[in-house]
Amino acid sequence: MKSRRIPVPRFAVIVVVALVFAFFSLGVQQFQNFLTLGAVFALIALGYTMVYGIIELINFAHGDVFMVGAFASMWLLTGPLGLPDKPIDDPIRLTGVLVVVMFVTMVFMGMVGVIIERFAYRPLRHAPRLAPLITAIGVSFILQNVIQALFSSSPYATPQIFPKFKLELLGGSIGALNLFMVAIAVGLMLALALFVGRTRLGRAMRSTAMDREAAELMGVDINQTIAITFFIAAALAGAAGVIQGLYFGSIQYNLGFNAGLFAFTAAVLGGIGNTTGAAVGGFAIAYIEVSAAQLGYSRWSEVAVFSVLVLVLVFRPSGLFGQALGERA
Amino acid sequence: MSSARQRLAERAANHQSITILIGWALIGALLPVVIQLPPFSTFQTSSSWVDGFANAGGFILLAMGLNIVVGLAGLLDLGYAAFFAIGSYVYAFGASSFTGLHVPFWPMLFVGALVAASFGILLGAPTLRLRGDYLAIVTLGFGEIVPAVFLNADTYTRGTNGIGGVAQPELLGLKFDFSNPVPFYVTMVVILAFVMVAIYRLQGSRLGRAWMAIREDELAAASAGVNTVTTKLLAFALGASTAGFAGVFVTSKLGLVSPDQFGFTVSFTVLAMVVLGGMGNTWGVAAGAFILYEIQSVLLKQLNQFFQGLHVPVLQNIDFVQYQFLLYGLALVGMMLLRPEGLFPNRRRQLELHGATDDVADIPPPTAALGD
Amino acid sequence: MKLAKIGALAATAVLVIAGCSNTPAGSGGASGATGGKTIKIGTEFPMSGAETANGEPSANGVKLAIKQANAKNAVAGYTIDINVQDDAVNGVHNPQQGATNLHTLVADTAVVGVVGPFNSSVAQAEIPIGNAAGLLQCSPANTNTGLTYPPDSAQYRPTNPDKINYIRLAAPDSIQGPAGADYTYNDLKATTVYILDDTETFGVGVGNSFSDQFKKDGGTVTKRDSAPKTTTDYTPLFTAAAAAKPAAVYLAGTTPTGMGLALKQGRTVPGFETIPFMGPDGVADLGPGGTTGATITVAGSAAHDVSGTVAGIHDLPSGSTFVADYTAAYGKAPGAYSAASYACAQVIIAGMAKAVAAGTTDLAAIREAVRAGSTVAGNTFDTVVGPVGFDKNGDITTPYMSFYKTDLTAAGGKGDWVYVKQQAFTDPNK
Repeated sequence: MKSRRIPVPRFAVIVVVALVFAFFSLGVQQFQNFLTLGAVFALIALGYTMVYGIIELINFAHGDVFMVGAFASMWLLTGPLGLPDKPIDDPIRLTGVLVVVMFVTMVFMGMVGVIIERFAYRPLRHAPRLAPLITAIGVSFILQNVIQALFSSSPYATPQIFPKFKLELLGGSIGALNLFMVAIAVGLMLALALFVGRTRLGRAMRSTAMDREAAELMGVDINQTIAITFFIAAALAGAAGVIQGLYFGSIQYNLGFNAGLFAFTAAVLGGIGNTTGAAVGGFAIAYIEVSAAQLGYSRWSEVAVFSVLVLVLVFRPSGLFGQALGERA
Repeated sequence: MSSARQRLAERAANHQSITILIGWALIGALLPVVIQLPPFSTFQTSSSWVDGFANAGGFILLAMGLNIVVGLAGLLDLGYAAFFAIGSYVYAFGASSFTGLHVPFWPMLFVGALVAASFGILLGAPTLRLRGDYLAIVTLGFGEIVPAVFLNADTYTRGTNGIGGVAQPELLGLKFDFSNPVPFYVTMVVILAFVMVAIYRLQGSRLGRAWMAIREDELAAASAGVNTVTTKLLAFALGASTAGFAGVFVTSKLGLVSPDQFGFTVSFTVLAMVVLGGMGNTWGVAAGAFILYEIQSVLLKQLNQFFQGLHVPVLQNIDFVQYQFLLYGLALVGMMLLRPEGLFPNRRRQLELHGATDDVADIPPPTAALGD
Repeated sequence: MKLAKIGALAATAVLVIAGCSNTPAGSGGASGATGGKTIKIGTEFPMSGAETANGEPSANGVKLAIKQANAKNAVAGYTIDINVQDDAVNGVHNPQQGATNLHTLVADTAVVGVVGPFNSSVAQAEIPIGNAAGLLQCSPANTNTGLTYPPDSAQYRPTNPDKINYIRLAAPDSIQGPAGADYTYNDLKATTVYILDDTETFGVGVGNSFSDQFKKDGGTVTKRDSAPKTTTDYTPLFTAAAAAKPAAVYLAGTTPTGMGLALKQGRTVPGFETIPFMGPDGVADLGPGGTTGATITVAGSAAHDVSGTVAGIHDLPSGSTFVADYTAAYGKAPGAYSAASYACAQVIIAGMAKAVAAGTTDLAAIREAVRAGSTVAGNTFDTVVGPVGFDKNGDITTPYMSFYKTDLTAAGGKGDWVYVKQQAFTDPNK
C-alpha cells in the first residue's frame, strides 16, 4: 500500500529505460504483445498486492475472481446487450458498449469481492494465519465450480466486438485493441495511485496497512476499509477479465488459477504490498513470457518465471521495490 | 518457561514409542476388519478399501512430513509436492527398465528419502533466512519448477509420458503384485508407525524444542542460543525426506510416475490435511489426512449412488460427480469457519491461541504471525 | 475428553456411511430390459472438472450400447448393467485414482470387461492391474504408442506377460501423425510447416510422429514450440514463428488443451492469416459451429482453411442411426469418442454373448473368455465404426484415417467440418 515510496523522477527514468530496452530486445511486434500481456498481469497483481498489504492474506481466490469477471463481461455482451460476434464499427456505439461493460463488470465483481471477504475471510481475522489461506482456496474451488455449472467446462468463445483496426507504426502493425488495452490498464493504475495517495479513504487504507490497531484508535473504520480494499481489488480483476475476453478471445472456467499464480508472482517480484511494484512486476513477468516465446523456449517459460522469482527473493528478499513487510521483519 | 517444559515432558511421556507402535498395530489390524462389517462392506469392496487405505497412507506420510515443517517449526511450505516428486522419480530411475537399473525397493526407500532431503537442504540453505510469507512464495515457485523440469527434460524423464513399468517391492520371496493390495497396506502401516515414533522422539528432543521455540518467536529463540539456521534446515530436510519416503512407496505401488501427479493441488491438499487435522499434532494431522483422502476419493465419488438410493425425486437427477469441486470447496470453507484451529488441535497451541485472543481482541495471535 | 470427541466423530462417520449403504456399490443406472442374471461392463473415464467433456460423452456411448443390447436381449438370460468409475481428482485425471477404480472393477465379479480409460497416463497405471486379474480393457481414446507396441508394452504386463488385457480402437500416435504429415505435404502442397504442441501426452506424441514423417516426405519443419494448456496468449509464439514464413501450421493437441485458442490468435498474426492449419482429431472434433467448446465455435471466423485427421472410419455402417439415437437419448450431439466407446462396448458384449452361448455360466470364466477372445487372429466384431479386429498387441488390424476440412458456410452459415477422404493407413514404421 505504498504508492509514494519511490521518488517519481527516478522511477520514471527506470520505466523509460526498461521500456526502451524491451522495445529493442523484442522488436515492434513482440513489444506490443509484451505490453498487452503485461497490462493484464499488472491489473490482477494489483489486487493481490492490495489485499496482502492490508490483511496479509495470500488471496488464492483472486485469480478466480478475475475469471468470473471475464465470464460476467462475456455474458453481459452476449446476453443482455445481445451483441453478435462481429466488430462494431461505429466509434460512439463501441465506446458506449465498452463503458457499460467495464462499469457493470467492475461494480459487480467489486461486490463479489466484498461478499467473499465478509463471509470467508472476516470471520477468520483472528484465527491462525493458515486458516484463511485454506478458505481462500476453498472459495477458489467454489467459484470455479459455479462457473463450470453455469457455462460448462469447455472453452468459451468471447464476442470480438473491437474492430481489427491496425496502425502502421515504427515498421510494424499495432492493433488498436492493444493500444486500448494498455491505455485502460495504465489509466486504472493511475486512478488507483491517486485514490490511495490523495483521498481520505486511501489514507485510511494506508494507515490500516501500516498498523491496524493504531488506525482504529485514530477513528478509521477497519471493517469498512478492508471491505473497500476488497472491492477495489476485485473490480480491477474484473477489468482485467473484460480485457481478457476482448483480446484473448476465449475463456475457460479454470483460467484463473495460472493467471492468479503468475500475477501473484508479479506482486512478489515488485515487493508485495507495494502497488507500483506489482504493476512493474506484471510487466516483468510478461517480458519473460514473451522473450521465452521469441527465443523458442516457450515450454520453459514457467520455469523461467519461477526461477527469476526464487532468485530475486534470495538476493533481494523484499522484492524489486521493497515493501511494508520487509521493513517490519 | 518451566511450566511449559513440564507440559512438554508430560506430552513426551504420554506418547512413548511403544504406545505409538501398539496404536498403529491396532489400527492396522482393525481397519481391514471394520470394512468387512455391513455398512462399510456394502459401500465398497474390501480390496478397494484396503487399496484406498494404502494410498491414504501415502498422504498421511506426506502430511506428517509437512507437519514437521509447518506445524512444528512454523515454516510455511507451499511447494511440498516437489519433494514427493523427487522421491518418486528417484525410485523410477533406480528400478525400471527405462534406466535398466533394478535396485531393490528397500534400499531405494532410503535413497529416495536422502535425495529428497538433499534437495530440501539445497533449497533451504539460501532461502530459509527469508521470513514468513516470502518463504512460502519461494517454496511455491520451487513446487512449480520441479514438475515442469520433469515434464520438459524429456530425454531424461520420458517427459509427459512418464516412466512406466516401475518395479514392485519384494520381501523374503514374497513378490508384491497388482492383484493384492494387502502387502502394500501392511508395509504402509509399518512405515507410518516407525515414522511417527521418529517424529515424536524428535519432538521431545532438544531439536524439537528448538523448532517450537522458533515457531513461537524466532528472535527470542536466537537470543536464547538456538542456532536458527541449522534448526530450520533440519526441519526442512526431515520434512523433505518424509516426502521422499512417500514418493518411493507410491511409485512402487502404482508402477508409474508422470509429471502430472505433482501439481500445486497436491501441495495444497497436503497442506489442507495438516491444517484440518490440527497443525503440530501429529496424530491429528494423520487423522486429517485420512479423512480428507476418504472424502476426496470415496465419499464424493459415491454421492450419485447415495442419492439414487434415497429416491428423492429432485436430488436423484442431479449428477453430484459434477459438483465435487463445489462440495469440496464448501467443506473446506465450512470446516475452517467452524474450527479454524483444526479438528484435533495441538493442546499447547490452542491454549496460546485462546489466551491471546481473550486478552487483546485486535492483535493477531502470536501463532498467526507464522515466522513473521 | 479427546476420546469422547473421537468417539463422536466415529459415530458420525458410521451414520454417514450407513446412509450411503442403501444401494449396492457401483450400480450406475443404465438399465434396459429385465431378464435373469446381471452381468456388467465397467467404464473408467474422468467424469468431473475440466475433463467432464472427455469422459461424459464416452460413458454415454457405453450406456447407449448397453441399453440397445438389452432391448435386443443380446446376451441370452442376462441383463447387462454398468459400473461407472470416475478417475478425476480435483477435476484432473489421476493415475492413482484410476488404479483404485480398476481394483474396484476387478473386485466386482459381475464386471467382465471395461471401457476406458481416456488418458494414456491413467492407462499405464491400470493395465498392470487388469493384467494380474485377467480383465479386458478397451480404450476408445488412448493413442500413446508404447501402450501396445513392444518392447514398451511388455512392462505393463509383469504378472502375465502373454495375456493381452488391453485393446484400443484409437489409432496410435504413430499412425495419426504421419497421416497428417502426408496429407499436409501431398494434398495441401505445403513444404514448410510450423508445429505447436500442447505438452500433453497426446499432443507431444502426435507432434513428434508428424514431424518425423514430414521430414521423411521431404518437407522442412521451420519451428517446433510447446505451450502448456494454461497458456492464454499464443500471439508471441506465432509472432516469433512468422519469421521463417512457414506454409502451414500443425496444431498437435486438442481444442480443450488450447489449440482452438491458438488457432484463433494465430490467425491475427501477420503471415498466418490465410495459410492452412492442420490438426489431429482433438482439433478436428467434427462439431459444427455453435456447439459449446467445438473448435469452430472457439475459433469463430478464424476457423477457415483448417484440415484435420480423425482416427476412424468416416462411413459408419450404421452411423446415421447412432448419431440420431445418441442425440435422442442425451439431447446433444455425440462427443469425439462416443462412437468408439459404443464400439468398445459392442466388442465386450459380443464376447459375453459368445461365451454365454457356448454354455459358460461362471462369471470368472466369461471374463476370461471376453479377454482371450478379443485378440484371437481372425476374430472380427461388427461395430458402429465398422468391422474391427485386434492384432496380437491389442491394436486394431485395419486402422482407418478420415480427413476433414472446415467450411464456414456449411451448417446454415454456422460452419462445419466437411468430409474429404478416408483411407486405410498402417504405421509406416511398423
